[in-house]
Parts: sequence; structure tokens; C-alpha cells
Amino acid sequence: MKQWLFAILGTAAAVLFVLPMTGRAAGGEPQAFYRPDTPKFPQARTWVAQKAELPPYKAPRTPDGVPNLQGNWNGPIGGGNDDLEEHDYIDVTTPPQESYVSDPPDGKVPYTPWALAKRNEIRAGLARGWPGETGQRLYGDPNALCLVGMPRLSFGAQEILQKPGAVIMLTTNTYRVIPTDGRPHMSSSAKSFFGNSRGRWEGETLVVDITGLNGETWIDSAGNFYGPNTHMVERWTMVEANTIDYQITIDDPSLYTRPWTMTYPKRRAGTGPGANPLSTTAVGAAGNVGTDPYAKEFWEQTCTEGNHDNLVVLKKLGFKWFNPPTP
Amino acid sequence: MPVKRTFVGSVVALAAFVSFTLASTPGAAQTSGTYTPPKTREGQPDLQGIWQVLNTAAWDIQDHSATLGVPAGRGVVEGNEIPYTPAALAKKQENFKNREALDPVNKCFLPGVPRVTYMPYPFQIVQQADRVTILYEYSRVIRFVYMNGNPHPAGHIDWYMGDSRGRWDGNTFVVDVTDFNDETWFDRAGNHHSDALHVVERFTRTGPDHMLYEVTIEDPKVFTRPWKMSMPLYRRQEKDVELLEYECGAYLLKQEWDKPNSQLFR
Repeated sequence: MKQWLFAILGTAAAVLFVLPMTGRAAGGEPQAFYRPDTPKFPQARTWVAQKAELPPYKAPRTPDGVPNLQGNWNGPIGGGNDDLEEHDYIDVTTPPQESYVSDPPDGKVPYTPWALAKRNEIRAGLARGWPGETGQRLYGDPNALCLVGMPRLSFGAQEILQKPGAVIMLTTNTYRVIPTDGRPHMSSSAKSFFGNSRGRWEGETLVVDITGLNGETWIDSAGNFYGPNTHMVERWTMVEANTIDYQITIDDPSLYTRPWTMTYPKRRAGTGPGANPLSTTAVGAAGNVGTDPYAKEFWEQTCTEGNHDNLVVLKKLGFKWFNPPTP
Repeated sequence: MPVKRTFVGSVVALAAFVSFTLASTPGAAQTSGTYTPPKTREGQPDLQGIWQVLNTAAWDIQDHSATLGVPAGRGVVEGNEIPYTPAALAKKQENFKNREALDPVNKCFLPGVPRVTYMPYPFQIVQQADRVTILYEYSRVIRFVYMNGNPHPAGHIDWYMGDSRGRWDGNTFVVDVTDFNDETWFDRAGNHHSDALHVVERFTRTGPDHMLYEVTIEDPKVFTRPWKMSMPLYRRQEKDVELLEYECGAYLLKQEWDKPNSQLFR
């Protein structure tokens, strides 16, 4: 969110001034300035190939006999979800990266023609200084307004807790409670940012069926969007002691020609490529458990409360309010 | 942005748990008694579930008459009087006059403690051995109450929801909260505090579906003595009840974005 706003301000000075203060990305890994020769970050293509080589794994069980997913989990490594499709180097905060999309195999979101045109129109009006922009300002990333929705929440770090009949996912400033007791969905006419989640266990996998999404947030910060009729199904499967295979299938015949799926690994905090083993709290600032007794605690994180100046800037720059597009 | 967890100098263990001996009032005694709550798997009294108040404290924690859209209500302050200093009382009256513009909740800011408890939205208590997490439907506010042996961090830290440390006093869950900023109110009527606010909450199950919620408020910059609130919490009974979504900030922005003279963007 902050990276995006600074891109609008478009001054290197602003970036240099602020990044040291925000210098931790989700997961507590050090934020980096990327260069055109930064190696491409692996995402779905690489992970699907790696996963195929793993031996079968059966997760430990909770006292209720279901797979135990509890703990602190990071989001995917790399440049975040600035642009979920495969891309080369774009700017200092957007390194080259494989697509998050594992299906279809070309890694593209299978938009219908009008929806693809709309996505491209949004992207051309981001005013981030990216190639292909018109120079006009259209919409800002809703995340910059402290709007959080699915599936972007799962791209971040979270703690998973399990209770009889529910899986609870926590960050420092928001949460999901996913009933797994077989209750039916609410009417899908009741819309919300996180939608209405219903979980069930299929062998090793927590399957979460999400309806009632309002479509008012994006899937990444580059204008890839969904809508109020979109249906999402997440699949959370432990494939190693410290790795969850996360898959989300997104379906909406009014926007996409077929259902499509993103896939990435979520690593237990302190594990995985490039992790700091002393950082056991994925959520929030990285603390050192060796020296800081508070390192494992989640402390207050605000958004709306400190966002006034950002709002004023975005309004003055003429960005419009994003409503989910319709054909 | 997460607060950087660096502690310079010696950690001064703040008096973590201060108990007050206040004159007991009939209201507080309504329940205590003999109910023994079931235990969690970790062996602690089980407070888990979805709870909500049934009162008008969100509008005014003191006795008040009805106005348009506001039901009349009995206050939740024991004895009804709040012992403001003269200057603080004047500020309360000023706040009341200008409450539409000044109430931080009208900007969708985090509501503070104990106000978040008695807003008209449910909340869910989730227990672990060394931490109680309270999830509030209102703006998906989340509170982590630690019982891991750490005292309040060396402060002062300006937090909307404060720093919460819990302990068990028999079957009562006691939460000591410090490190507040001075930017939250107790209700829509302008009752206020400073950053010296110290809150002690006591959660006591009084039956299968009821819990007594007692709060002691101390703030020497604003009040001449500690004072108390108490109210029952009710377990939500609806089949398949769950926390839903009230994204205050999002709704406010959506409403104000295209208004030519919105105060929000000044």
C-alpha cells in the first residue's frame, strides 16, 4: 500500500525517506530495492514442480483429530502481489516474478474480453509510473484506503488457531473465523469484504468455500479484480512440517472464461528460503526471540487512524472510488 | 506500521496488576455467587463464545433520557456519578455539545477499552493457555490479552486499545490495561480520559449464558478517584450465530468520497 502511494508521489526522495521507516515487508523479511537484473522470483510454476517431488505427508492431528495447521505462517516470498501475473522488472519495489496463477498453465487470469479490457484500463490509470500508462489517474489500490478483502488477506502472514468446529486466522489487526461445523452459508445476497467462509476437512486439506464477496477490493495492487458474484474456494494443505500448500480457485462466469487457480507455499515463520530463524512471529514486525521477551506478541497496528494524509493526497490527485465493474 | 519493539534501558516492571478496594455496591453483587463455569482443555474457566451487551452504554454510560434515535437508559456507572476534576468536567460538556464532530468513533477509529465491549456489536472470546484473544465484529477490532509472564512493556506507548495483560483470580478473568493514547472516548456523550488511563476489567461467568463485566477506571489527570462500571454480558443464542462484518472505515469512505465538501479530506 505504501509503496503504491509513494509511486504516485513519484519522487525518489519520498521513497528513500520513507522506506527505511517501513522497512519490513509482510513476514518480517527485510524490504529490498530491486534492480532490473534481480533474478526472477519463483511462484506458481516453480512451486508446482517442487511440490510434485515431495514425499507424501500426513500432518499431526489436533485433539479433535483433524490436521493441525496451527502456528505462524508467512505469505509468499518475493515482491508481494503487486502484479499477480508473470512479469519482468517493473520498478524498485516490483521485481521480476513468476505468475501466482497455476491454472490455466499460461499463468494469465482468463478474463472475458470486456473484463480484460477493463483490467487493462484500470492498470493504465494507476499512475504508478509503470509502462503503458495513459497518464490519467483512474483508481487507486483499495488497499491504500485501508480496505482489506479476499483473497489478498491470505497473501499476508497470519497465525492459525484451531478450535472445535472452527479455524481462526489472526493478524495484528484483523481476523477470520471459519466455521467447520457443517453449517450452511448465509444468503449470498449479504455481501462483505471477506465474504462468508465455510470450511470442511477433506483428508489432509482444509477446504474453505467463500460466497457473498462484495468485489470492492482487488486481487493484487495492479488492478486485477473480481466481483460481487465471484465464488472462491481455498485449499490449505500441509505438505511438509513447515509448509502449507495454499491454493485458491476463483470462479465467476461474468468475468472469467473458466475457473482459475493461484498456488503458493506458506512457510512457518522462521523457516523457508531466506528466513531469519530467530523470527518466530510472522505477523507484524520481526522480533528476536533470543533477546526480546515481547518478540512473539502481536502489538496494536492501526490503519484508518493514521491514514488521513494519504486520503487527502489521493482525493486531491483525482482518484475515483472503485466499484466492481459490470459489463 | 507495526511498532518497533526495542526496549532501551532497564525494563521497569510496571505495577502490573493493581487491585482496587472500592466500596462495593449492590449492582456488583447480583451474581457472584456460586456458579462454577466449565473448564477449557487447558483447565481454565471457559469464557469462550459470542457475547454482547444489552444496554445503552454505547450512547451514554450514565443515566440518560431518550432523544431521536437514542433510547433512554440506565447508566452502567456505579453510583452514576463520574468524579471528573472541574476542568475535565468542562471538557466533557464541550465534547457533548460537539459530539457529532468530535467523537473519534464517528471517524471509525479504534474505539478504545472498555468502550469496544459495550458497542452494539457481538464479540467472540478465544482462549489459549497463555493468551486470550477477543475478536470484535465492530471493524474487526482484535485484542490480544497476554498471560505469558511479561509485564506491561516499558512505556509509555500511545495505543488506542492499550496494552492488555491478563490473570485468573479464581474463576474471574482479570485484565489490566495501560498504555492508552488520549484519543478515545467512553461513549457518544463525550465522556473522556487522558493517556494516563488505567483500566482493570473483570470477566466472571455467572451462568451458562451470562457473564458479569466489571471495569475499574483510574486516571489521575481526569478523575479525582477511581470509579467503576458493571454490566452483564449475554451469550448470543441464535442458531449458527457468527461474527459478521462491520467495516466502519470502508463504509464511511464510500459515503464521503464524492461529496464536494466532505470534512474527511480536510
